[in-house]
Amino acid sequence: MRITLDKFFTVLTGLAVMCMIAALFVILGPMIYRGLGAIFFRGTVEFRKMQLAEFEHGNIEKIKQEDIQTKQARQAVYNIIDKFRNGIDAEKLTDQAKQIDRTFGKELQLQDTERERYQELRGLSRDIRDKLIEAFSSTDIEQIKKHIDFVLRYESDERFRKTSAAQYFKLAHEFAQASEKIDFEKKDLYAGELNELEDIIVKLLGPDPNGNKPVLAQKRYGAARWDQAQKLMHELFWKEQWIEQENSKTLVRIETSRAEQFAGTELEPLFAYIKDNSKKMLNPQITFYWRYFLDDSTPGHYFGGIGPEILGTLFLTLLSMVFVIPFGVISAAYLTECSSEGPVIRVIRMCINTLAGVPSIVFGLFGMAFFVLFFIPFFGGPSQGCILAGSLTLAVLTLPVMIRSSEEAIRTVPQTYKEASLALGASKFVTFVKVTLPAALPGILTGIILSLSRVAGETAPILFTAGIAIGPVPDSIFQKTRTLSYGSWDMAVSDKLAAEVPHNQYGMVVTLVLLILCLNALAIMLRSRVFKKLKGH
Amino acid sequence: MKSITVKILITFALLVSTNVIAQEKLHIEGSTTVGPVADGFAEAFKSMYPDTAITVNKSGSGTGATALIDGRCDIATMSRFMKDTEFKDAVAKGVFPVAHAIAMDGICVVVHPSNPINALTTEQVRDIYIGKITNWKQLGGPDTQIVVISRDTESGTYDTFETFIMKSQKMASNVEYVNSNPQMFARVQSTSGAVGYVGFGFVKTGVKALTVNGVKPSVQTIISGQYSLSRPLYMFTNGYPKLGSMTHKFVTFHLTEKGQEVIEDKGFVALTNY
Repeated sequence: MRITLDKFFTVLTGLAVMCMIAALFVILGPMIYRGLGAIFFRGTVEFRKMQLAEFEHGNIEKIKQEDIQTKQARQAVYNIIDKFRNGIDAEKLTDQAKQIDRTFGKELQLQDTERERYQELRGLSRDIRDKLIEAFSSTDIEQIKKHIDFVLRYESDERFRKTSAAQYFKLAHEFAQASEKIDFEKKDLYAGELNELEDIIVKLLGPDPNGNKPVLAQKRYGAARWDQAQKLMHELFWKEQWIEQENSKTLVRIETSRAEQFAGTELEPLFAYIKDNSKKMLNPQITFYWRYFLDDSTPGHYFGGIGPEILGTLFLTLLSMVFVIPFGVISAAYLTECSSEGPVIRVIRMCINTLAGVPSIVFGLFGMAFFVLFFIPFFGGPSQGCILAGSLTLAVLTLPVMIRSSEEAIRTVPQTYKEASLALGASKFVTFVKVTLPAALPGILTGIILSLSRVAGETAPILFTAGIAIGPVPDSIFQKTRTLSYGSWDMAVSDKLAAEVPHNQYGMVVTLVLLILCLNALAIMLRSRVFKKLKGH
Repeated sequence: MKSITVKILITFALLVSTNVIAQEKLHIEGSTTVGPVADGFAEAFKSMYPDTAITVNKSGSGTGATALIDGRCDIATMSRFMKDTEFKDAVAKGVFPVAHAIAMDGICVVVHPSNPINALTTEQVRDIYIGKITNWKQLGGPDTQIVVISRDTESGTYDTFETFIMKSQKMASNVEYVNSNPQMFARVQSTSGAVGYVGFGFVKTGVKALTVNGVKPSVQTIISGQYSLSRPLYMFTNGYPKLGSMTHKFVTFHLTEKGQEVIEDKGFVALTNY
């Protein structure tokens, strides 16, 4: 009976451990996989252009060459769209016609044309312009033909040769060609669809190379990653629609081919072209973006890395350790060595235990009220959140953990050690520093490891005391800083951009986990070395 | 081991001792909704005025107001107007908040795209949120339970929704609360019977914005006030900022062409029309 119970217990514990490991894999596995996507991915030429312009990384010559090559491949896309637009965008065409008329008028003035001739040509030019505009806004193919024929009658006219008015005929030819293939009843529909299509193309290939440079970096480049590009291309080829279904009131999602939508128009070849030449246009290459851990980012973490966040987290964590270790150890020493058990000590202990259970946001508010608004200004510092205030708050947060574990560690040091030291004539203080503390060091280090992990991952205490969403890298401890935990929170709650760059979100979280792991590993290594020293020599 | 400790100590000593370079600083604190606009402005300012160090924190409209009152920030971003108690606190401390409306935002009632319902009235929306209407069938939709989702009661978005829709009626107890616009979007996108409300910028593929009282939310209807669920977004400063100062440039940046571009890119409705 006892043996079966024992075995049962062993199996149970084994199962529990297995469950925990499985849970760890289930939670961490996908997270790490996606997080790695921030470092290993197939970067397109847009990514390299962005890196060069925003962070000055990369080979200028090579990227320039790549840019030229991809631009050549892209030109066809813009050409096809322009051609198609010529058939439907009456407003733009009208503007063009008016512009030609104006330039022609100026040209005549500059050439000092005779008064009569000037008036005649100007009148003719206006006639042509008005006919063209009429043709552009018409939806009747017969009417259009009539107007265009009228315009083209002047094509061979000597007076218009080699002047800017020759542009009229080019415009007329293009429009005639485009209008042959267009179903005029669908003109408005096409215009709407074309806008949608162009939005996707801007996201895929970047903004119009001839247009203004967008203010925000997020809009300056096309799809920087091949997986993003593929998603956009899917959107480009397939239009998502929700349609009604028989005998059910819920709508069903269907995807219709855009190529079919534009069948028979000038735009139709666009889809096949993009499909066949997407790699030439974007040139995806396997990228190992190790600078992710060093680079600054554009606001919203759309591009770039998490360098300042890592640095900020390290500063905060290590500085808070500087405060918490001495205070924690000294308090623990007092509780174990200097005081005798009594009601006062019991109350103090109870307070420490309660402190350990206080939610971290309370510490955050306390930190703001005490450190930011009172303590630091009291010593002449700025009454603003800063790294110092943040790390002090974090120190208070982990003090209970530190005290408890140091206390345990000190208590496990055999009484005989201390007695031996005292018997040799050492004072109580010297005994503590030279004998008890070194012997308790491994236990104290365990406490440090525990509080280190807690501090690095806390968001609430630094929300009001040290964290910012964007800002420069701090150059003193009286400035605010970005941190990994606050950054992850910020990405999750504020900007709509974050949803478009999930790899960056996961990347930041995974980095935080890895950073804590590294700090822990460091502390554990330190502990084992101390252990060896204690045992061996 | 000792050398590492020494190195760390030296790094910290250096950090503390480095003199802060004389540069203009601007700290912005407040709403998570307006935060992205401040981010965008800061990005634009970084290239225009590289000597200015701009920091942005997003901790909520209320925290922004408190920070301005305490003098801990230069600009408080808020998605609602200051409350009278906040004004009183401010004046008592010698701070005189001035509101700068920088953009408009529409609060859009959103449902899953598979939902055949396209339009509701404010009364119907209210009935859903107070628990009178619990099934889409009652509104002519499919026979599915309505999953009602609201923003947390601290947010400015909730404030606006409450004022315009709830008219001080209490939300039903089964209403689910989420903390941010992205969360709301994700929740509605993944739940076929859900109804919720998000800022105008979060209406994109994945959710469907409803027509409210016969008006569809769009840039035109929001800016003209036809769409009733629209609100201005604010930046508050202590007094009107000195002309030419960085603070002044920042709170008037929305009037420039670049500022308009940023606001539109961040998914809000600009007040200017370049």
